[in-house]
Amino acid sequence: MYLALLKELLRNRAAAAGLALLLATLLAATLGRFWFPGDPWEMSGAPMLWPGDDAANPLGTDLMGRDMATGLVSGAGVSLMIGLVSTLIAAGAGITIGALGGFYRGWTDAFLMRVTELFQTVPQFVLAVVLVAIFKPSVATATFAIGIVSWPPTARLVRSEFLALRERGFVEAARALGMGDFRLIVTQILPNALPPVIVIAALNIATAIQTEAALSFLGLGDPNVMSWGTIIGNGREQVVDAWYICGLPGIAIVLVVLAFNLLGEGLNDALNPHLREKET
Amino acid sequence: MAALLSIRGLRTWFHTRAGIARAVDDVNLHLQPGETLALAGESGSGKSVTAYSILRLIQPPGRIEAGEIMFNGTNLLTLDDRGIRNVRGNRVAMIFQEPLSAFNPVQKVGAQIVEAIRLHRRVSRRAAYARAVELLAQVGIPSPGARAHEFPHRLSGGMRQRAMIALALACEPDILIADEPTTALDVTTQAQILDLLKSLQARNGMGLLLITHDLGVVAETADRVAVMYAGRVVEEGPVDTLFSRPSHPYTAGLLAAVAIDDVPPGERLPEISGMAPSLLAMPQGCAFAARCPKASAAAGCFTESPVFSSLTLQRHVACFAANPAASPVTVFPRSAMRDDNVRVAA
Repeated sequence: MYLALLKELLRNRAAAAGLALLLATLLAATLGRFWFPGDPWEMSGAPMLWPGDDAANPLGTDLMGRDMATGLVSGAGVSLMIGLVSTLIAAGAGITIGALGGFYRGWTDAFLMRVTELFQTVPQFVLAVVLVAIFKPSVATATFAIGIVSWPPTARLVRSEFLALRERGFVEAARALGMGDFRLIVTQILPNALPPVIVIAALNIATAIQTEAALSFLGLGDPNVMSWGTIIGNGREQVVDAWYICGLPGIAIVLVVLAFNLLGEGLNDALNPHLREKET
Repeated sequence: MAALLSIRGLRTWFHTRAGIARAVDDVNLHLQPGETLALAGESGSGKSVTAYSILRLIQPPGRIEAGEIMFNGTNLLTLDDRGIRNVRGNRVAMIFQEPLSAFNPVQKVGAQIVEAIRLHRRVSRRAAYARAVELLAQVGIPSPGARAHEFPHRLSGGMRQRAMIALALACEPDILIADEPTTALDVTTQAQILDLLKSLQARNGMGLLLITHDLGVVAETADRVAVMYAGRVVEEGPVDTLFSRPSHPYTAGLLAAVAIDDVPPGERLPEISGMAPSLLAMPQGCAFAARCPKASAAAGCFTESPVFSSLTLQRHVACFAANPAASPVTVFPRSAMRDDNVRVAA
């Protein structure tokens, strides 16, 4: 099934491009570390070397003489990691809350949906800033904060899927076979509710990466970790005479976010049965 | 012989915004091991709700208000959650009208049968899988090993219904409830499925509760039949005598409507005039009175509800015209209905 999905994705040109970009980012974050093994905070050359000026610093250096390539490679890892983990947190919370609300309905649903709405009324980014500011800024707190602010859409989606699926015949049939609620939720309804959740998760990773960059830009990133947002934040004073300091990590963010969006759209096409009618 | 299943005074009501719909009202039924009881009636007569009530699958706003469903000496209506789950699919299994919608679309057929077995039996996945393939073979699915690997939508309608029967038989239940098992199938497949059910029943001696609106299916398959109308059983008895000599005017009307071969060409086809009453606004007296050719005010058809009572040893009917004993003021106090002996003695 997963192999078939991958095939379907590769047939879609946009999704294939997204996957390729993603693979490139992943390679940069892993193999790139071997290529540029230095400490991204360490001074490695003259400050503000333009890309191509010096073979030792192929992408130039920033205001403090730190190697841009090393910083970008480090940032790729940070972005992917925070994007993935925070999305896992958001998906976990969203699926649990949405599944319980949609399956049990009644007051359980009413309560959970009010909580969800409470989160939705507060602007996501502001809440993330507050959460990070309350705890000490670090990779862990940023991940946690981004996860906490981004579960409500998943919860609402899962809830609506559950509300529709719980009325389906196979759920009744499974109940008639003697399945309990937990089993019904996990083995019967959830697998059928998953496709749109996967799509929203892919798009969520893109948003999470942007949020992380914005937090770092504001100086709320982990002070020991060089992320793309940190580089942009540090380079913003030189944006006129050394635009590449902000530009290169900016381009990196654009590409990764684009990659996840393309992938999300591709997954939507591949997983949405209505768009795939001709297939079956 | 002690009944395998006996339902007494079952009431399942739906509490809707528009009022209380008495979908099942005072239903009494019993089923012996190895017997096929058909529950016949038109849409909305309460036959499916009766079946779902047995396994307590009624969802709000529906509620089982009263009654007793004795199965092997235990009252299913008083079992706790765990207890009833242990009966479902294990001792009493169910098959549904639309086999495609009864399968989980994202799980392979074999895996679903494996899951059903492992819900109630402590066996390894491998053993359960072997059993699943064996079951698929038993219900006449060709190359069962390959079919077990298919997703449900890849099977044909008849094949799916067979697979669903295999799923239901996974734990060798004592009772199989079949809710319109052939309605969604074409006629030749229908006959095959009914034959299959009969042969499986002959092999393992399970009781079969067959819910249908098709009197042809009843005649072909059932030993006894209970006819439901507006939430009540109006007549019950062995298929052969009930079909040849119906007592209740509703049953007679239904049979007349089916026997159109006897109608001379050009003649108007027989029908039962009028409509079934809304469950939300049941008339006083007999629910069928307004459409009944034999209804009379003198007998109390419009004021009193006829009690379901014995006509002969095996036949029961709820009609004043057919059975004077149906009058609640004469011989049969309503409370006496709770006792089987009284019914047989009458």
